[in-house]
Amino acid sequence: MKTFKTIMMLVSLLGLNSLMAQSLNALHVKEDLSKVSLTSPLWQKAKAQSVEVYPQTTIEMNDAELVRANEANLAKILHVKTLSDGKSVAFLLQWKDKTKSLQTVQSTTDYSDGFAVQFSTANDKLPYIGMGSENRAVIVHLQKATGTIFEPNNSGDVYHQVNTSNQNTFAKELTSYKNEVAKQGSGDYQRAFIAEGFRSMTQIRDNAEPSLMEMKYDKGMWSALLVRPLKSEHLSLQDSFPVAFAIWDGEKKNRDGSKLLSAWVGVSLDAKAKALALLDEVKGDASNGETLMMENCSACHQYKTVKNAPNYMAPNLSNIGGYANASYLKESIMEPSAVVVPGYNLNAHKNFLWYTSDEKGVRTSTMPPFAHLDEKSVNDLVAFMKTLKVEVEK
Amino acid sequence: MSQRQLAMVMDLNKCIGCQTCTVSCKTQWTNRNGREYMYWNNVETYPGEGYPKKWQELGGGFDEAGDLKAGVVPSLQGEYGVPWDYNHDELASGAAFKPHVDPKWGPNWDEDEGAGDFPNDNYFFYIPRICNHCTNPGCLSACPRDAIFKRDQDGVVLVDLDRCQGYRYCIAGCPYKKIYFNPRISKSEKCILCFPRIEKGLPPACAQQCVGRIRFVGFLDDEEGQVYKLVKKFKVALPLRPDYGTESNVYYVPPTEAPPKFDASGKIIEGSERIPPEVLEKLFGKEVHEAARTLRAEMKKRKETGESELMDLLIAYKHEDMFRLDGNYYAEYAKSKGMPVIKPVDERYLSGKFTAKMTFFTKGAHA
Ligand code: SF4
Ligand code: SF4
Repeated sequence: MKTFKTIMMLVSLLGLNSLMAQSLNALHVKEDLSKVSLTSPLWQKAKAQSVEVYPQTTIEMNDAELVRANEANLAKILHVKTLSDGKSVAFLLQWKDKTKSLQTVQSTTDYSDGFAVQFSTANDKLPYIGMGSENRAVIVHLQKATGTIFEPNNSGDVYHQVNTSNQNTFAKELTSYKNEVAKQGSGDYQRAFIAEGFRSMTQIRDNAEPSLMEMKYDKGMWSALLVRPLKSEHLSLQDSFPVAFAIWDGEKKNRDGSKLLSAWVGVSLDAKAKALALLDEVKGDASNGETLMMENCSACHQYKTVKNAPNYMAPNLSNIGGYANASYLKESIMEPSAVVVPGYNLNAHKNFLWYTSDEKGVRTSTMPPFAHLDEKSVNDLVAFMKTLKVEVEK
Repeated sequence: MSQRQLAMVMDLNKCIGCQTCTVSCKTQWTNRNGREYMYWNNVETYPGEGYPKKWQELGGGFDEAGDLKAGVVPSLQGEYGVPWDYNHDELASGAAFKPHVDPKWGPNWDEDEGAGDFPNDNYFFYIPRICNHCTNPGCLSACPRDAIFKRDQDGVVLVDLDRCQGYRYCIAGCPYKKIYFNPRISKSEKCILCFPRIEKGLPPACAQQCVGRIRFVGFLDDEEGQVYKLVKKFKVALPLRPDYGTESNVYYVPPTEAPPKFDASGKIIEGSERIPPEVLEKLFGKEVHEAARTLRAEMKKRKETGESELMDLLIAYKHEDMFRLDGNYYAEYAKSKGMPVIKPVDERYLSGKFTAKMTFFTKGAHA
């Protein structure tokens, strides 16, 4: 512990908690990006930048096998290349994954690898990293490596069915129906969603947020592509904007919140663009922050080896430094009800409620605001919280 | 919590294990499109491993503190068994009759096996199982997308297929393993208590078709109803595995009428119980003993005096007496509460609600 403290002090004194936001610089290209693919030669010109993605541990899900498979999860590096042609932005993500996992139609327990890129509709305040927050909606582009999947008509329609035993009456219709299904009923699993806080995530089906996505597995490495317009119905991406990434490992039964995710990182469309101030880190004394955390937070929150609080009493903060930005941490300390991570349904926690919820579904955190803390203490706390994260996988 | 709760009582003393209920459900709801392996209603032999295999050991439900317990998602290969077909078409050309996969498990796999030494103390009984439409559903609690909801009008628990993303936490969370993953459409599906039928005043198909007439259907707060009387007044109908903490709304009259045991010389052992009381206690909780006492006392009373309201109820002279459903209930109820009248098929269950062109959310409009 002592050495850890010393290291932390050195780290904070040396100012290694960078004060500048991480920024991905998009390479400007003349070619029309709306037709770019994973194998396009354009990518050779772009430089890969790394973004760390951390295991989501805020809440533990209730699938026993998933919990077991993810116990010793480390963080991963995503190699990200970014292109822009002034109309669209394109991301190429690459990450190591030893196993290629697909969800198949013959299994109830297979899960697929996948990735998502998240954009913020608000430019003044960051939405909550996972699902956005009230009045700060996020747009999420998701692809799962399902290969081709079958749906009756590939548009999420599960209702129209034809009973295939009724050959006498429907033989002709059935044949043409089957042909039609075979034609339309297989495609990649790609979706766009809008979300404004937990449990509000809704699929966008009217193509208001168009995108091109692609995934390819080769020699232990996934490559994934997303191209989308800079301007669309809900988004207007200019100069610099925040973006976040998530990846899922099907082998570890990852799905939903069980994933590796990044903090919000900035994307600059041109080299002169100003970095986003809302992504700035804070300068603080992490060692003092650790003491403050023990005094103020550890009775309710678990983090790393500190497990004074009972399970489910409050979100687990073990990887919070990996995926939360300083501004979010600050906000959560001062105004805990601004974003309330719902955990399981309220029915699940009769004893310790970490929030209450009114009939309209508005959640109020049971955590009192710590607005009485002076600025230095808050900065110290945040500086310590930013150190709470697992190592990066070698 | 819903405002009213529809419930079902099943009298296990009358179940003959004929599977008519299973077939009526299967042909009505789950015979295709990824639902081949699903049995929203199944009837298992107890003792037995059930469907999915060893479901009682797969976790889920709530602990004593009221927190959700971790559970396991059963696999098609191991716990459900891959559904199989036979080579009917090839039989005419002389081929041997064989299944297209090597079957390892399936619904009703250990049918009628039971336990004990024949004829001394062997026993088994049947347990038909559907989703319990729990008051505190493990499936609903576990769903991070709020895709599972409990209807105000009747407490029926449904999956909103538009919100469901196939995460399957609900399956881990349901201790009865009565919610299934449809791998074709990547969404979870479950018993819907035949809501399109009940909204028309008809009982669920499993209940209406039941050959043994074991199933009563009605609202739990309807004091004139059989369900109320069996559950609340006589307390002879009990939930299965109440220790799971989900507060099930399917209740069972425990099996009490097995023959007595025989001793080594084949003589009846007076006062013996062929179905071990601890087995019943595990399934139905401590209350099972009192329920058995009540049942026996009422049987005796009936024999001696010719009178017993409880026996009359359980005999169910007229089929329609078993169902307290009203074709106008949903419309009348909605009107009295100022709620929109429910359409023949619940709108939230149909596509549309969440698929309209997106507008930004209004504050507080979502949970
Ligand atoms: S029995 Fe299972 S699926 Fe049905 S309501 Fe209860 S927890 Fe949900
Ligand atoms: S139809 Fe009735 S008697 Fe037959 S198995 Fe089902 S519940 Fe039992």
